[in-house]
Amino acid sequence: MRGTTPRREQGMADPVLAEMVHALGLKEAPHYAAIKPTIQAYRRRWVELAPYRDGPVPAERTPTVDAAATTKLIKEKAMELGANMVGVCRLQPHMIDLGEDVAHEFVIACCVAEDYEKVMQGADAVEEEAMRTYVRCTEIANELAAHIRSLGYPARAHHNGGSEVQAIPIFYQVGFGELGRHGSLIHEKYGASFRPGFVTTDLPLVEDKPHEFGVQDFCMNCNVCQLNCPGDAIPKEYVVTHGIKRWLIDLEKCYPYSRLRDQYCHLCVDVCPYNVKSHPETYKAFMKERKQVGYKTPKS
Amino acid sequence: MEKLYVNEIRPTGEVSTIGLFYSRGEAEDIVAQLRSLPEKADCRYEIVEAATGSPSTNPPKMRESGRA
Repeated sequence: MRGTTPRREQGMADPVLAEMVHALGLKEAPHYAAIKPTIQAYRRRWVELAPYRDGPVPAERTPTVDAAATTKLIKEKAMELGANMVGVCRLQPHMIDLGEDVAHEFVIACCVAEDYEKVMQGADAVEEEAMRTYVRCTEIANELAAHIRSLGYPARAHHNGGSEVQAIPIFYQVGFGELGRHGSLIHEKYGASFRPGFVTTDLPLVEDKPHEFGVQDFCMNCNVCQLNCPGDAIPKEYVVTHGIKRWLIDLEKCYPYSRLRDQYCHLCVDVCPYNVKSHPETYKAFMKERKQVGYKTPKS
Repeated sequence: MEKLYVNEIRPTGEVSTIGLFYSRGEAEDIVAQLRSLPEKADCRYEIVEAATGSPSTNPPKMRESGRA
């Protein structure tokens, strides 16, 4: 199946970032040049795991009882490996990168929640937690893919070490939640504080369904991420893709705060009121800090 | 920097925004790739200028402070 959704390159391979960095007379974005050894180690880890995304499949298949029972077992396995949430859907062209071909029928999303408490320790702690979580997702996706292959079915992991799939449309379809104004998908319990790994496979599974709980309507009136964005990179206006509202982040405004200085930003996600459900006291304390420096906080 | 939306217009008339792109070359490349897909044969594409950005909502001194 050929993909239909363009993927924006990451790091200096992104032409927008490259142009902005070169305009400053630099060769590397300050954020990447200043990466701490712990984060470098996390990045090395997912590069090390990249060759194990896929592998040989035994000729003999383990008989599966029925798709529902198999799905239950696969989800249990993913949770046992460390995922906090697991969902399944049928792979569709808009879930695959434009120019890529993924010949599998299903995709399994395995997400790991980040420790939201890190927001109280500052940007470096938040980023380190994000990278740590990405490594866990990489390990889980690789291990789950290997497990499925051991049953005699093709399976490939998709994660920071290599991916041909698009996170947001898969998250939506497996019922993790809805796309928020800040450009990340919002889960009912974890907000947008989680990271993904995926496995595509031909193992017969039962699909989950989208779960809408009013995020897009809420985002229309909330604006807290927009008003806390130091670069004003989050637009008021939205576009529609496949019937879903999308507020497309202006990278030219985002990058000065997230790439062109040493520290990452991540504020749009950290201030999102949907974090209050999982971490009520921390969220209130964090937003009190934001208010003290003059930023808008939710009324409730 | 130029800001352009690529919109996909389906035979039903439904418009779906593919994304925001930062140069005409980048946008045209995406359109060419989409047009090469047999399942998109019935779709039309348009490249339109994005709004130049919403007015600033934070006073400049706050924007300078970044993550406080």
